[in-house]
Parts: sequence; structure tokens; C-alpha cells
Amino acid sequence: MTSVLWFQGGACSGNTMSFINAAEPSVVDLIVDYGLEIVYHPTLSMEIGQTAQDLFWSYARGEKEIDIFVYEGSVIEAPNGTGRFDMFAGRPMKDWVDDIAPKAGLVVAIGDCATWGGLPAVPPNPSQSRGLQFDRGGKRGGYLGPDFVSKLGLPVINIPGCPAHPDWISQILVALAAGRVGDLSLDELQRPATFFTTFTQSGCTRVQFFTYKQDPPSFGQGMRTGCLFYEFGCRGPMTHSPCNRILWNRQSSKTRAGHPCTGCTEPGFPHGDLAQGTVFKTQKVAGVIPKDEPAGMDAGSYMALAGLSRAVAPQWSKEDMFVV
Amino acid sequence: MTTMDLRVSPLGQVEGDLDVKVTITDGVVTDAWTEAAMFRGFEIILRGKDPQAGLIMTPRICGICGGSHLYKACYAVDTAWGTYVPPNATRIRNIAQACETLQSMPRYFYAIMGPDLTAAQYANAPSYEEAARRFAPYVGTAYQTGVTLSQLPVEVYAIFGGQWPHSSFMIPGGVMCAPTLSDITRSHAILDNWARTWLEGQWLGCSIDRYLQIQTWEDFLAWMDENESQHNSDLAFFTRWCMEIGLDTYGQGYGNFLATGTFLDPELYQHPTVDGRNAALQSRSGIYAGGQYFDFDQARVTEDITHSFYKGTGALHPWEGVTDPIDPADGEAQGKYTWAKAPRYDVPGLGYVPLEVGPLARQMMANRPDAAAHQDYDPFVFDMISKVGANVLTRVLARMHEAPKYFRSVKKWLGEVDLHEDFYAKPAEPASGKGFGSTEAARGALSDWIVIEDGKIANYQVITPTAWNIGPRDGSENHGPMEKAFIGAPVQNPDFPVELAQVAHSYDSCLVCTVHAYDGKTGRELAKFRMGGG
Repeated sequence: MTSVLWFQGGACSGNTMSFINAAEPSVVDLIVDYGLEIVYHPTLSMEIGQTAQDLFWSYARGEKEIDIFVYEGSVIEAPNGTGRFDMFAGRPMKDWVDDIAPKAGLVVAIGDCATWGGLPAVPPNPSQSRGLQFDRGGKRGGYLGPDFVSKLGLPVINIPGCPAHPDWISQILVALAAGRVGDLSLDELQRPATFFTTFTQSGCTRVQFFTYKQDPPSFGQGMRTGCLFYEFGCRGPMTHSPCNRILWNRQSSKTRAGHPCTGCTEPGFPHGDLAQGTVFKTQKVAGVIPKDEPAGMDAGSYMALAGLSRAVAPQWSKEDMFVV
Repeated sequence: MTTMDLRVSPLGQVEGDLDVKVTITDGVVTDAWTEAAMFRGFEIILRGKDPQAGLIMTPRICGICGGSHLYKACYAVDTAWGTYVPPNATRIRNIAQACETLQSMPRYFYAIMGPDLTAAQYANAPSYEEAARRFAPYVGTAYQTGVTLSQLPVEVYAIFGGQWPHSSFMIPGGVMCAPTLSDITRSHAILDNWARTWLEGQWLGCSIDRYLQIQTWEDFLAWMDENESQHNSDLAFFTRWCMEIGLDTYGQGYGNFLATGTFLDPELYQHPTVDGRNAALQSRSGIYAGGQYFDFDQARVTEDITHSFYKGTGALHPWEGVTDPIDPADGEAQGKYTWAKAPRYDVPGLGYVPLEVGPLARQMMANRPDAAAHQDYDPFVFDMISKVGANVLTRVLARMHEAPKYFRSVKKWLGEVDLHEDFYAKPAEPASGKGFGSTEAARGALSDWIVIEDGKIANYQVITPTAWNIGPRDGSENHGPMEKAFIGAPVQNPDFPVELAQVAHSYDSCLVCTVHAYDGKTGRELAKFRMGGG
């Protein structure tokens, strides 16, 4: 049995809801067949009041061992570092994190809020939200500090996304429960490299339109053609996620459905802080060059490629491909 | 007489942190305080941002009903900008909103409500073994299929929105997607599969058409025993079990209701306006208070912060609303006890009264006479409430009654999507305007008020269903609806007050859903109870 304690700080429960969409294994499979013992989860567990508090204290005091501490939501420090904007079971949630994180075998941050503060941390960050080991923008440190390691000697394992895909969560939990910690390699943002090395664009059905620099005329039926990067703010070419390799709800992805990638697996999300004119609009320099180029390109190489792409674009790339 | 104060922290499975303080006299709750324990300040973050920021931000207020947040956030901007929304786009928005709720119903029932039904204190009731066999968390036969299959309706959401939760595919002027033929046919097939395996196969034990013939409480009771399949359905067993363990005897509340309604008619709401909204709704809006129906008017809504952790006291309309948090430790000294504001509605002749929102409220409105041809008319729940009253059981029955109705609507809208017509019309983006968008999340009325100035958000206020239901006392010391519903509930075992959980769960409150969410007396050991004299 692998024990899992799941807490929610400044959270919307979206990662939990996403997790319940898991299949192969489903949440039920994880518990019944894979030996995950969810000792507490705010949505799924029955324990309430004193019964729940007694349980939490037994982990906080180290009387009981916890294998995996899953944290969803930001760590709230307001007001003035007291954490009183987020009270849980009688004390600031951040105090529970202080006590439990270092005693857990592994600490897993699920979703953007837990990894780097997420949406609550968008300026002016009224709740003084932080991620467990990173701050919004990607600075290492966060609430637990840059040197934190859990009992097994690993830093916080970050599974970002707003929300994280159920498979990113369940497959990592299965791997950890199966003792495959050694197979887990983390990137510089402490994300499992197996999921966060390819781009959102890898597997996107619109990639041929990207190649020939063809953008759709508008949302709606215009989305039966074109790449969303050039005009609609899509961050697929510079965001690391497997959204188009491991589909959402087994059906689709944002970009397949005509929805620009918002870059939610990267610490800058929402990029541009939702300032005027930044929502679903590509930010450009001098009206033509995207402010954020595809990963690994600069303005010069981008302009060279764009010019060539448009020049050689075949006729079919200017027409609807996803026809009725 | 024995009186004690009991503090339950956390009261779990409310999708967030809810603390409840109750006074118990001779084993019955005589007073209650609901305390939302967490604050993120999304309304503050939205100030000064892009007018469309709410499309990204507000779904993340609550991952449980993020699609509902998106639906109303979009209409808030549609009305502020004066957009044109093609009928196809409204159909897709409706399909997505309804599919999110179809997911929520079984997920709520089995994951949140079901486990309470297997609490140890019911072990001596005759049907306990059967209740545990079906509803025990993770291993119950009904739990396993109900929870796992709840993923299917949101597969349809993903076909149109890319993913669930947290898509932002509804945008002013329409939707981002442009479905193809196979998107429509696959959606039909997924939903049919879900209906066959869960809705009809497990929950109803009969066809949707048969179930929806029920018009009265007597019809429902007769339906339960009409044949073996219906008798053994989860719905019929749940009803019998609730009656065995007394869940039909407490959790009444005020008996006054508000619905802002949802599902705009695709043809009648092509030019969304605040004033034109009521007439275009399929699931009607309205207020039922003091035994009378009233039209819903957003101008009569206020939020009172007298007992909430915000600077000042009194009540404001959301367009003028202010969210200015204070340290809970200071708030407590001023008699404040929660992050939830107290939404109130100025009912003609009755004044500012607390109103319950949710499926029960929606279905009360469905009984209102004079429904237009496109509007839902359904007398069942009103009849049930007038005969047996509101309580934990009937509140859950009202919620689950909507599953077959929503299913039918989704199938109809899918059939009406015209693949060769528009799904979006690019709107003008005027620099200023005021908007109101609203819908019915699974758990009740959910609304945004937006003020746009100089092309930016000047004010943004959200009132969630959870705020309506779990909000605190107001300036006149009227209890919030759920506080009221706790009063009269029995508490058999103060160490495990499952009755309080059952009342709370009958509202399906998602606490993170109170944008303003709290704490109690800091530093004090919660859940510890004091024995008082008296």
C-alpha cells in the first residue's frame, strides 16, 4: 500500500475534477487495484471535524508515515505572512504544509497554483499566493524554498497545467507507487521530463498550417482552417505539454477545437497577466514579429522562415481542411 | 437541558473548506454559523484587466463548475458589448453547459452524497447492508460505475471546448469551435452510451420517457414500485433508504427560492441584453417567496458584508460592489465570521430576504404558470415540496430529477446544430459598458456583473450559488439559507456529526466556489466542543 494525503490550499478543485476523469487507470482502479491508499482527500474522504483533525496531526507530528503528499492549490501567505486567508482544520494551511511536507516520502504539486502560484498569484496577488517550490514566472524558491527535499531526497515534483491532465497525475502516482522513482527524470522546472519535453504543438492537427504560415480568418467556422499562433495568441509552439499526444477527455485538445493554447503548463501563465489587449491576441513587435517566437527561434530566423513559408504555401493550405 | 457548541472543521466533501459552528440543545441544532475559510481575491485581480479576462479567470474560481462560469462570463461581455450571437453558438454553449451539469449530477451523488449514506451510525437500519454494497466509497458497486461513467458527458464538452475542466472556448459573439459531422455523431453516441449504462440502466431502471411521465409525488411513489427494475434502481433505493434513516425529516431551510435560469433560446437571444434575458430562457428564472412567484430582476440583488471579512458593513448592488479583504483576526472582533458575502434579493413586499438557490429552486420555477412554448414547464418538484416539504431527500431528488431533462435538451440541441451556418460573429469592442451574465451551475444561480471603462475592467463581481446558500447572516441578522437549514437537524454523535454533512451535501456546495471564501477563531482548537449549562 502507498499512502497518499491530498490537501487543497488556494485551489479551485479543478485538478481533482480532472483527476476523476482518469481512465486506465481510473481513480477507482488506482485504489482498488493499484494499492493507493488515499488517507485523506477533501472531496473524496468522509472524515470530518475532529476525526479529520486527529488524522492530520498524526502526520504533522510524524506519528504516522505518509508516502506521497499531494498538494493542489497555492500556498496562501496573506495577510502579512500569517496565512490566515486560508484556514484549514483550525490553522493556516501553510502551517500544515510546514509540518507535513518534510515528513512525506515524496511531495507532488498538482496544477499551476501548487507548482508556481497560478492564477491567484496574478498581480496584485491579493492572497500572496506562492507555489510550493517556485514562484509565478518560474523563479525557484516558492514557499518551501530552493533547497527543500522530501524524505526520499527529491525536490517537489511539479505536475503543472490549469488543470493538469488526469494521466499526468495518475501515471506519475502509479510510477511512484510501483517504486519507479528512479525512472523519473525532472526538467529544470521539476516537471516529469517524460511529459514536458515535447511541445503542445507536437501532434497538433493544425501544424501544417503553421508550416505554411496560414492563419484562420476568425473564430467559429473560420477555425476549420489555419494555425492559431499567428493572430490568436496560441502558445503551442513554445509551451511544453503533451496535450496533443495524450488527448483531453479522450477526445480532443484546445488547439484541435480551435482554442488557442494559453501556455498553462509554463510558469508565466496567464502570459501577459491578462492585461488589456492580450487575451486571445498574438502580441507583436512592430506589428509583424511575434513578441514570443516559437521555441529556439529569434526574430531574424522567424522572419526568414515566415517569408519562405508564405511564398511556398500550396493552395490547399489556404482552404478549409476540417470540412463538414 | 444540555447545550453545547460544536465546531466542525473541516466539514469535508464540499469541494473546498467549509467550517460550521452549531449550537446543539438536547441533541438538536438550535443555531448555526457557516464559515468559508479561504480567500483568493479573483474580483480584485480582474480589476484593470482586459474585458475578456473573465473568460480565463472565472472558470478557475471553481473547477467543478468552470463551464458554468464560462457560460455566464461570456454573456456578461456579450451584454456589455452588445454582440450578435449566431443561434448555432448558443446551441453549442447550451450543450456544453448542460454536459458539465450531467457530469456533476452522478459525480456529486456517488462521490459526495453517497458515502454519508453508509455512515456507521446507520448500521442498525434494515437496509444498511444494501446501502453499503451500493454506495461505499471506492468499492460500492454503484459508486464505481457512477463515478467512473461521470466522465462521459464531459467528453462531449471536450469535443466542442477542447477539454474539461477549464476551457475558455465561449467568447463574445459565439464559440471558438466549428464542429464537423463526426463531432455531432460522436457526441450523440457518447451520450447514448452514458444513458444506456448509467442514467437509464442504473439510476432510473426505466426509459427516460417513462420517468418523465411523473407529474406528482404520488406518481413518483407509484413509479418506484411499478416493476422490479425500477424498484431496484439507485433512485428508488436511495429514496427508500433516506426514508429509513430519516433524511426526509430535516434540512428544511426557509422555503424561499431564487433561480436566475439558464439555457438561452438560440433564436430568441441572438442579441443578448440584460432586459431581454428572462423571456429568452428555457429553464426559467424567478423568485418563489412567501408562497408567491416574482419575476427575477438583477437590479434587486445585493451583497451584504456585515458579517464577512471585508472592510465596512451594509449591502451594495454588484455593479457597485467592493471586495476589500481584512485580516480575519480583525474581522472577528467586528462580529465577522466568513469570507462569503451574504447575497440578498429585494422581494417586492417582503424586503431583502435570503433565498435558496439550486436544483430545488429551479424546479420550483418550472411549475410557474404561463410558460412560453420554448420554456420548461414541469410540476413534479413543486408538487413534491408542497406535499412533503424541503429536506435532505427532496433536495437531492430535485437535483437528480434534472438529469433526464437535461439529457433530452442536449440531444435536441445537437439535432439542431446547422453545420453550414455560423458559430461566431466578430463583435465590436466598445470601450465602455455594463454587463450581466448568468446561468444555473449544477448547484444553483451563478452570475457575473461587469463594468468596462476605457477598454478595461473597472469592476467585476461574481455571485456564486454557494455564496447564496452558505452566505452568513446579513445586517438584519437573518441567517443564511444553509445556516437556517441546519437548525432543527439532529446530531446523534458530536464526534462525527454526519447529519450536518448531509444537510450541507444536499446543497452540493462547492466552497471554493465562494470567490470570497474564510476561517473561524484563529488559534482556537476547532471541533473541540464545550459543554454549556442551561
